[in-house]
Amino acid sequence: MTLKRIQTVIIKEWREAFKGGKTVWIGTVAIPLILLGVSFFQLFHLSDIRAIPPEELVGTLFLVPFLYFLMFPMIIPHSMAIYAIMSEKEQKSLEPLLATPLRTGELLLAKTLASVIPALAITWVAFGLFLIVIQFVLPASVLEWAWQQFSTIWLMTLGLFAPLAATFMTLAAMAIATRVSDVRTAQLLSSFAMLPILMAAFFLIFQNLLEKPALLGGLCAALLVLDLVLLGLNVKLFGREEILTRWR
Amino acid sequence: MIHAEGLTRRFGERIAVENLSLGIGAGEVFGFLGPNGAGKTTTVRMLAGLLAPTTGRALVAGVDVCAEPQRVRSVVGIVTEHPGLYEKLSAWHNLKFYADLYDVKSSETQIEKYLNLLGLWERRCEPVGTFSKGMKQKLAIARALLHEPHVLFLDEPTSGLDPESAKTVRNFIAQLASEKRTIFLCTHNLYEAEQLCSRIGLIKQRLIKVGSPQQLKRELYGRHIIIDLKEPISLSEDWQLPFVRDVQINGRRLLVQLDDPEVQNPVLVQRLVELGAQIQFVREQDRTLEEVYLDLIAQEKP
Repeated sequence: MTLKRIQTVIIKEWREAFKGGKTVWIGTVAIPLILLGVSFFQLFHLSDIRAIPPEELVGTLFLVPFLYFLMFPMIIPHSMAIYAIMSEKEQKSLEPLLATPLRTGELLLAKTLASVIPALAITWVAFGLFLIVIQFVLPASVLEWAWQQFSTIWLMTLGLFAPLAATFMTLAAMAIATRVSDVRTAQLLSSFAMLPILMAAFFLIFQNLLEKPALLGGLCAALLVLDLVLLGLNVKLFGREEILTRWR
Repeated sequence: MIHAEGLTRRFGERIAVENLSLGIGAGEVFGFLGPNGAGKTTTVRMLAGLLAPTTGRALVAGVDVCAEPQRVRSVVGIVTEHPGLYEKLSAWHNLKFYADLYDVKSSETQIEKYLNLLGLWERRCEPVGTFSKGMKQKLAIARALLHEPHVLFLDEPTSGLDPESAKTVRNFIAQLASEKRTIFLCTHNLYEAEQLCSRIGLIKQRLIKVGSPQQLKRELYGRHIIIDLKEPISLSEDWQLPFVRDVQINGRRLLVQLDDPEVQNPVLVQRLVELGAQIQFVREQDRTLEEVYLDLIAQEKP
């Protein structure tokens, strides 16, 4: 396995995906930007923020943005992962690609990373922006309180949940894309794959997740198991013979 | 350069290629003909290290396709049935991607060389999606040559091209052959096979026949000489020469089957003149490769 070949495929994936048109741009950049904008809008339009007790700020100021940071790693790689497979199938470019010294394991890894890396980067950058903005808007006492309350869950979300969720969504979308013949069906079916995880995340939020890191830890453990199962499935689907004879 | 022994490939119960044994020398242009689903593409995929044979073995450019398929892929070039280019990327970025995968040293020089050779340099920055089918095919050929392979597999390289583009591609293949590259050409175009290939193999799951176009024609039909006379002639029983295998008379035309016309023609002509024939033309009957192909495929049981 060579890093150079993996890097070459990743760069090609990005170059192609972002020239691919609206779908990838909307799924990867536009939706996260819009959701983040909504959060900032809420922050800036809270009147007399100092008069509200920190505990009551949780719902408006932290829960909704937190929900977005749970969603981003799942939404962002969705379009890219589908595009990574469907565009190869539509352009019939798999055979010449497999005729190069590229190994199928390298192809799978490169296509997975090409979707997971932007998902993580955008999620982390969005979180960084969120932190910067709240520094300016919220009083020091609220910030101190928030940091004490939420630092563990934020770190778990960004450091553990985000990579696992992005990997889950990427592997699920790629596995589905290998088996269907059009983009819309792939998008629809992989959205269904996203739903149970999102529903679990929403449920945990309503169970006061922000105060119970163990619940998020449980969800991460479940995601890890799912990721491993999906990885095994994708390794099988990315067999050379499988690609040449069954990816239609 | 290519040596296959008992190569067989099964897909479940179905046998795509059965017991294929073949030898192709360095610098040879070998035509591989057969109907759709006969196993041409599967053979190419096995020889190019894309698919593992179920049984049998093959050496391509000295590398074992079963033991070292990745090394085989790095020393051969392949032009697949569909160009399979990235339509949103430019010609340059398409070639750069493949050059990096093949780890081509001085890749930019190589890309420039082949874009120039194939007349695509001026359009190197344009998305491939805007190219004509012929231009895409040329780009696919350039892609297959970036790493300077000694063995080149071409799977129907002129399929669907207009006559002018097809001719350009054929000329380029001829040029590659003159550079002593070994070319394995799968095609349905029998004219193309006859023009370009020194030997031809016919496949229908099993390899039916291998030989030069001339050899195949002679083996199947023998050699016939057409003699056009000024006036019809009637030949008595005792006119025949011992080497004449068969004679058909059709008005002013004689069709004579011989084993060795180069030696026997002068004797035959002399004899006919002695019998009073006024000979206008003498030529060898030219069978087309299409006739050979159709007859051999028809003889092969399904």
